[in-house]
Amino acid sequence: MKRSHGLALFSSTLVLFAASAASAFAAQPGDPPDGITKIETVVVIFAENRAFDNLYGHFPGAEGIDKASQESLQQRDRDGSVLSELPPVWDGLTAKGVTPPVTQAMTEHLPNAPFTVNDAKGFNVPLSVTTHDLWHRYYQNQMQINGGKNDMFVAWADSGAMPMSNWDASKTDMWAVAQKYVLADHFFMGGFGGSFFNHQWLICACAPYYADADKSPAKPSISVTDDNGTALKIADNSPKSARDGIPKFVSDGNLTPDFHAVNTMQPPYQPSGTDPAPGGDPLLADPAKPTTLPPQTEPTIGDMLSLKHITWAWYSGAWQYTLDHGNKSPVPNFQYHHQPFNYYANYAPGTEARREHLRDGGLGGVSFIQAIDDGALPQVSFYKPQGNLNEHSGYADIEAGDRHIADVVAHLEKSPQWPHMLVVVTYDENGGIWDHVPPPKGDRWGPGTRVPAIIVSPFAKHGYVDQSPYDTTSILRFITERFELPVLHGIVVRDRAVAAHGEPPLGDLTAGLDLK
Amino acid sequence: MNADGIVALVTAAGIELTDRRRNAEGDGWSLSFANGATVEVGDDGSARIAGKGSKAVRGLLDLPPAPRRV
Repeated sequence: MKRSHGLALFSSTLVLFAASAASAFAAQPGDPPDGITKIETVVVIFAENRAFDNLYGHFPGAEGIDKASQESLQQRDRDGSVLSELPPVWDGLTAKGVTPPVTQAMTEHLPNAPFTVNDAKGFNVPLSVTTHDLWHRYYQNQMQINGGKNDMFVAWADSGAMPMSNWDASKTDMWAVAQKYVLADHFFMGGFGGSFFNHQWLICACAPYYADADKSPAKPSISVTDDNGTALKIADNSPKSARDGIPKFVSDGNLTPDFHAVNTMQPPYQPSGTDPAPGGDPLLADPAKPTTLPPQTEPTIGDMLSLKHITWAWYSGAWQYTLDHGNKSPVPNFQYHHQPFNYYANYAPGTEARREHLRDGGLGGVSFIQAIDDGALPQVSFYKPQGNLNEHSGYADIEAGDRHIADVVAHLEKSPQWPHMLVVVTYDENGGIWDHVPPPKGDRWGPGTRVPAIIVSPFAKHGYVDQSPYDTTSILRFITERFELPVLHGIVVRDRAVAAHGEPPLGDLTAGLDLK
Repeated sequence: MNADGIVALVTAAGIELTDRRRNAEGDGWSLSFANGATVEVGDDGSARIAGKGSKAVRGLLDLPPAPRRV
């Protein structure tokens, strides 16, 4: 409630500011870039878990692995010494059931350097194969980044050498899209850690909160950190070296010591990984379960868009299928924690806002593609591919997701709405995978590791690598400026933090566009 | 099978561990995963799987299907 009151005050201030700016008949600092109104339709496609260097590390003209210093290529052990070689990938590089497998033994004695998974002279594992997942968690990500040196990704991983993996993606469909339009090579994930947190950053630029968590079923999920609050406290029985095994921590939970939810928790509403309470409302998740996050009330970009009567929707692949039939694995493998609006009271079951804005993308995205073909997209659309098409390590491969997203882009290019469209294809987070570029120094929540981002539009600079600093909130910045929305609090805090560290301001994506 | 082994197998398949705690009896661990599966693993090596994602987790752990209710 306190935040809502503050927002109302802020909105009033904004109205006053807007009035005075209009009377001046001149561009003012903070005004939207010229020509931004040429963009009438914004589409955000949010894939999963790839660092920039993992897919685009050899993209021509981009700051890729080839431009990394020797020091940034080498990983250090937990005591700070340079590793003589990488540890093996614990339990093997390929996912369970893959034949032929790349076993743990086959990954012994890798040099201390990045390696290419589909290198014909190496493991020769194609892009169509699912590989081992890696820790991608809030505190571990900060420990791995190590103040920007990016030299502790192996040390604080659960998968041995796996963070140093990358792919030759030069034959993928999305590589061709990036060559045709704009590849942003300094785009960082908005928050440290995993998908749950970074989906929250995409819509809210905020850290979810669990009030009175120390008196709740989630109490054992409160993390224990070091004195700085940026790293987990290491357990006494943790292996001293990364070559001896996976690190252990005193408490590696979902909540910060001050009760912010930073690792995966379940939505309070169905579809949720948490079943309804016995005898309770079947539309809700059991609030007594320790992994259920209470409904959130922080303002989101959806609230801001609705406030200004801008049409918008979150399209989720297999949303309705999962509600009707339950989830199935490996297809569609719907991911409950990739649906950020399903954590918010404003979009609870039974609300008009839920009916209007949380839409079924269909199995394989067919309903979303139909809306594209029909020219029926709202002014702002978010599209979340279903699990098997999202490129997440462990349960999805790169090829299937890449082809799906490229197919969606091809439909967008032919849409009646295309002439005034901006499409951003990016990844929610790095998936625990190493990238060599230091993230900008920001606030306590991020930005985290660099991820790929492709800007697609008839107004995009063609064949261009955009080196402007961006993070996930840059998408929100564009939407906010284009539709003249009140600015979310988290963006203001991020801007101030970045400026306080002397970093250049995070952009709004327009540097990749030619709007003149 | 112990709790660490189960966590390693399941999380390697991209199914995040979302909660881990000692059970109320103090004779095992209660594990929760992002797909909705819960695994009660005893210190004696026994494992009991429930929840929405139980089929996927059961397959990863090479455990037989749960008996059908009649």
